[in-house]
Amino acid sequence: MTNFKQIEENLKKEAKKLLEAGSVAVVLAYTKGADEKHPQPFAAKKADDVANIIFNEYCNHNLARYIVRYAPGTKIAVAVKAADSRAVVVLIQEEKIKRENLILLGIPVSGMKNQKTGEIIDEKTTGGLTNPVVYDVLLGEEIHTGKPVSPYTVLEQYEKMDKDARFAFWKAQFDKCIRCYACRKACPMCYCDPCFIDQTKPRWADKSPQSHGNLMYHLTRFQHLAGRCIDCGECTRACPVDIPLYLFHKKVAKDCEEMFKQAAGMKIEDKLVMVDFRVEDSDKILE
Amino acid sequence: MAASVLKKVVIEKINEVAAVLMQKGTLIAPVKEEAGANFREIKDPKDIYLDYYNSILSPKMVFFPQMEDFVKYQLAKPKADAKIVEMNLKPAFLFGVRPCDVKSFEILDKHFYASGIIDTYWKARRDNTTIIGYAFDLDKPVDSADFYNTLGIGAADPEGSDIFIVKKDKELLLKGITKKGEALLGELSMLEKADAKDEKYFTDYVKKGKEKKTRFMKVDDKAVAKKYEDIFENNEYWTKMSDACLSCGVCTFVCPTCYCFDICDETIFGKGTRRRIWDACMFTDFTLETSGHNPRTKVSQRLRQKVCHKYSFSVRKYDVISCVGCGRCTRSCPVNIDIYSMVEEATKL
Ligand code: SF4
Ligand code: SF4
Ligand code: SF4
Ligand code: SF4
Repeated sequence: MTNFKQIEENLKKEAKKLLEAGSVAVVLAYTKGADEKHPQPFAAKKADDVANIIFNEYCNHNLARYIVRYAPGTKIAVAVKAADSRAVVVLIQEEKIKRENLILLGIPVSGMKNQKTGEIIDEKTTGGLTNPVVYDVLLGEEIHTGKPVSPYTVLEQYEKMDKDARFAFWKAQFDKCIRCYACRKACPMCYCDPCFIDQTKPRWADKSPQSHGNLMYHLTRFQHLAGRCIDCGECTRACPVDIPLYLFHKKVAKDCEEMFKQAAGMKIEDKLVMVDFRVEDSDKILE
Repeated sequence: MAASVLKKVVIEKINEVAAVLMQKGTLIAPVKEEAGANFREIKDPKDIYLDYYNSILSPKMVFFPQMEDFVKYQLAKPKADAKIVEMNLKPAFLFGVRPCDVKSFEILDKHFYASGIIDTYWKARRDNTTIIGYAFDLDKPVDSADFYNTLGIGAADPEGSDIFIVKKDKELLLKGITKKGEALLGELSMLEKADAKDEKYFTDYVKKGKEKKTRFMKVDDKAVAKKYEDIFENNEYWTKMSDACLSCGVCTFVCPTCYCFDICDETIFGKGTRRRIWDACMFTDFTLETSGHNPRTKVSQRLRQKVCHKYSFSVRKYDVISCVGCGRCTRSCPVNIDIYSMVEEATKL
């Protein structure tokens, strides 16, 4: 079992060291919201702030989401779980940030929980990974126990549905959407400014929450995340009406992995599948 | 004033009440959905979900739907051919609203018509609707996000409802609060007359509902409004409050007192509709001007607008804090930002 208290202590120690030495301007971590069961992403900027840092099984938020908010060149330390570290990798590959400006405080963790239901969500949120794929300091022991789980097992029941049933399933889900855009705002990979859905010249989809516009918004967003989504599950967790967006993202990720033999955000040296071309690449996408 | 009517009905018979209301007009009540309860038009009385805590989306959507069509038009056709979309105004019965949400209607009334500028859509729906309030279950724990006591609202306040319901074991006690409510109670023949014991139970329940159970701090409207004027430019406070904020629309869309909307023309294959849809001050493009200039580029500026609107501007303009402490924004915020804590921290500055 992950020792959350130990990780919290180590996180505080490292954050304090970095802020006191002035080696970073900000440490991205967690603090308590209304209470500890409702944690909040936290930007510690002074050594004094460190006392407010916490880490527990509800600290799901992907902190990579906040990096691009700081001016280019800002030295930032980020607490990264497996999924957060993969998001950092994609941001580096996409040249949004530079590796040398980051200090990655790695958190190996299993047993993360959904704040609303208490359900363990490892497979949904970490793409089956427990250890960060890149880090400078590790705040706990790497976890190598337990069988590695496939992030795609949850798809089986949906892949069995025929086309019509699948369309009906997604149409019903998207009809629930209230277009609050929490999914895109929680996503570490959704940093476009402006996002296509906010553009007015041309307007790509209606703003009103109706089937056709909702479909346009979601299908376009899924496409924009192809080969980039690192399966952190934040979009789904943010959704106030429980639309299982992760299923669609996982399906696209699975197809990408099968076609291009590469999962998103695993190695900094990798090129993004959608900007790279290899002779052996699958042509299935064109069929 | 004559003592108002108290009636009662066993909970199972609520289907019969619903059936009559559905005949008289549109019945809107909480139904159970995947993510929790929401107020929806009832097609089958069995769908009514009375064992709910509170809805995810606030019942403001009954009077102020997320999408309201105004005019239908066709491109390249004369303006005179455009048609105004008629409101489908049947009498409506809004069933099962919690006291804090009932209070929110009163606050939005100030904005949507009592100020003198009348929003005909809001007003028409308000006038057409009978509000059947429903006390929180005092035997169940309150949600940790709630703080309606702070805004002076009790868990069983009947004010603002036309009929108010209190649960008593396996029965519901229904009290007529307004003339409209009393008249309706009179038309529901399946209701039984309540006795003196029931009367006492009802009165005690309302009184007990005043006990402070939600989060509570002493808030003086004028003082908090002034405080936010004073700290309007306190960047340290606003940055700290908004460091985690995603600038999404959840908190405002679920909020019973947020009323911002956008009017847009949406056209598909030459057929268009001019409609209004909810907008949110937390959206990136909310204040984007035609020139391309956006006076609020930072998340901290947007969050400041949201909090100050409720706790300062509204007090100055309408003499009321436009927040009822329903806790929805806190419950639904993806990053657990809590408006109560924000206000608490501000009052300490
Ligand atoms: S699309 Fe969802 S799961 Fe994928 S990176 Fe974005 S927030 Fe995470
Ligand atoms: S978070 Fe959910 S409701 Fe909001 S826009 Fe995304 S899918 Fe729609
Ligand atoms: S306070 Fe929460 S719900 Fe509101 S905009 Fe910020 S992140 Fe979204
Ligand atoms: S600001 Fe939050 S607590 Fe206040 S009325 Fe709106 S949703 Fe409820």
